[in-house]
Amino acid sequence: MSNTIYTMGVDVGGSYVKGVLLAYDDATQKHTIVDKQTEKIRKRNPKDVVVELVDTLLERNNLNYDKDIKYLASTGEGEMVEKKTGHFYSMTTHAKGGIFFAPNAKTVVDMGGLYVRAVKVDSKGKVIDYKMTGQCASGSGQFIENISRYLGLAIEEVGEISLKADNPEVPSGICAVLAETDVINLVSKGLSTPNIVKGINLSIAQRVVKLLGALNAETPIALVGGMGMNVGMIQAVEELSQENKKASFEFIPHPDAIYSGAVGAAIWGGYRYYKLKDKQTAVVA
Amino acid sequence: MNKYYLGIDLGSTTSKAVIIDENDQIIGRGITNTRANYKVAADIAREEAIYDARFTLLSNIIKTDMEAKPEFKKYMEDIRTVFQYQQFKRRMEILEEKLVKTSEAFPYPNKNEIIDRLKSILNVIRPQIRHEFVHGGLGSKNQFFRDIVSERYNLEVAKAGKEFYEPLMLAFDKSITPVENEMVQYNFKELILESMKVLEEKYKGLADEQEDGSKEDWYYAELNAVRNNYKNVELSLREHFELVAEQEIHIANMVGTGYGRALLPFPEECIKSEILCHAFGAHAVFPNTRTVLDIGGQDTKAIQVDSHGLVTSFHMNDRCAAGCGRYLGYIADEFGISLNELGPEAMSATKETTICSTCTVFAGAEVKELIHNGEERPNILAGLHKAIVQRAMSLIARSGGVKNEFTFTGGVARNQAVLKYVKQMVTESYGEVTMNIHTDSIFMGALGGAMFARRNVTAALPA
Repeated sequence: MSNTIYTMGVDVGGSYVKGVLLAYDDATQKHTIVDKQTEKIRKRNPKDVVVELVDTLLERNNLNYDKDIKYLASTGEGEMVEKKTGHFYSMTTHAKGGIFFAPNAKTVVDMGGLYVRAVKVDSKGKVIDYKMTGQCASGSGQFIENISRYLGLAIEEVGEISLKADNPEVPSGICAVLAETDVINLVSKGLSTPNIVKGINLSIAQRVVKLLGALNAETPIALVGGMGMNVGMIQAVEELSQENKKASFEFIPHPDAIYSGAVGAAIWGGYRYYKLKDKQTAVVA
Repeated sequence: MNKYYLGIDLGSTTSKAVIIDENDQIIGRGITNTRANYKVAADIAREEAIYDARFTLLSNIIKTDMEAKPEFKKYMEDIRTVFQYQQFKRRMEILEEKLVKTSEAFPYPNKNEIIDRLKSILNVIRPQIRHEFVHGGLGSKNQFFRDIVSERYNLEVAKAGKEFYEPLMLAFDKSITPVENEMVQYNFKELILESMKVLEEKYKGLADEQEDGSKEDWYYAELNAVRNNYKNVELSLREHFELVAEQEIHIANMVGTGYGRALLPFPEECIKSEILCHAFGAHAVFPNTRTVLDIGGQDTKAIQVDSHGLVTSFHMNDRCAAGCGRYLGYIADEFGISLNELGPEAMSATKETTICSTCTVFAGAEVKELIHNGEERPNILAGLHKAIVQRAMSLIARSGGVKNEFTFTGGVARNQAVLKYVKQMVTESYGEVTMNIHTDSIFMGALGGAMFARRNVTAALPA
């Protein structure tokens, strides 16, 4: 008998909360995204944002939390999710989510608000090895957000505008904060907005390609995380990877890439639900 | 004819201009946010310094009157802030126009509602700002157009409801930069005359008692004096105002320094490194200084100088902005408070929370977490301030330590919590040394520039 269960995944990041409602069909063993929602935190209390997001997903789908949701899995800053059944480490959720979006990927690159991490995965989305940026926010999504605000761009416009570049200049600053001054200088020199944005995308892409080299990453590579949805960024990593003589990578982007952590969490949640259930059944039996 | 010399320090965050006379005395100061265009920032700072110089010249002329009569002193003070308001008002009108235009180009379906909301927000903040300038002396507290507008604008947007939040914020982000980068020409005389009218209105409007029976804020000796005498003061000042308005401020030479100096169309002789200028300026004010610490928006510099004010060695942060002024800017933004509230709040801490992240952006994220873990805000702030000073101390050590008198310059020297930790840590590491902090600390680079300009009179002026 086929049996569908619902799980939820909530990924609390530095600037966004991402949530998905997932359905798992027992018979086909397939997960499908039923609904999804992103909320910008801005100056709000992330805890309130999480509550709002979970309620929205439930209401929109006429579901009752206690009755219908078998597992609410958190990832990222998980302690913000008060109703959670359990928490999963970001590395594992993004790996799982990456494989969900690109089943034949050998590596998952998560490009988020604060970090970029490259994770080697097996066919089931288990982590084999990883490398991540640390200590410094250059090459993070926050960096792009600051620059776009400075240039007066909506975050949704940033990707498209980069595609219009004809002669990008890569800023020399290594630090995200110093690079902002570089951008002031570029504007001052009369560089066009598309060329500035593309230059920044290229500078971040350089770090990504370096990270992949250090990891000895295998291709194809699933691109996930907030920046993984940015078409300008996708173009930049693809271009740089083609120029790279040592190893050329094939990238698989996905329009829902920002949800990778939430999706991964929801899948792991479902998995743990069955594990727990079997254990309980076993104990009872 | 008197000759004057100009120094312009184009910092990454703020641009400063200083005008000195032939005795190296500062007669004019100008400061503005550095945004997108260094040329405009330099022009605005210079114009500000020239206006300021006219006020200084006027104060010198009526010095005896000002010393003898409190109403003269008060009137001069008031007219300066109203003058600042008049400048603000011109730019604000341009911004309002731009905001509406930007919103009109939006693809949002509820565009008309957004524009209505925008207009009502402007109607709320316009009189607020006017009042704060005219009655609260806002101009002397905050000199930055963007900060003044955005603080009040954001407050109103937050009340406007969720569906308007993003579009209204975007409208502001898209409009503010072009407006800041527009050079607005003012006529000094016109603005002064308008300011006199505003003041007349202000003094007339000071009622003996407010509706609720309380005394109004004129109940201070100085304001009270000018309230009863402003006609006399106005009469005796009008002529002087017209005189200084016509007076030519002849800039005989100038020097540009700072981050953006290389991007300006200055001839080579008119450009000097900011390390040299900061050291020279600080040394001029405090001749016994041998070590200068300058914490600016994006750089921290530890400089050793000789008895002539020339640099013997220096160290600065190069690859990373950790521990600079922007660090504090980021943190203020995370907390949603203004930059000048940070220091006082950190002073009220009971302990210093440890901040692990060095990176400015990461520290911002760490702060968010600490708040949600229930840490007290002053304690977090104290930790952040301490971290800044620790980083500065390591630069000082690498540059050769603290010798003889120590001078602290740059915008961050205005922050009393940073000051407290600097005093504490310098004393711990180097024993009791004389520490100098000047009210004009942020202008030291520009002052040094102006002094170099005076000593290098042969250089041709840029067109």
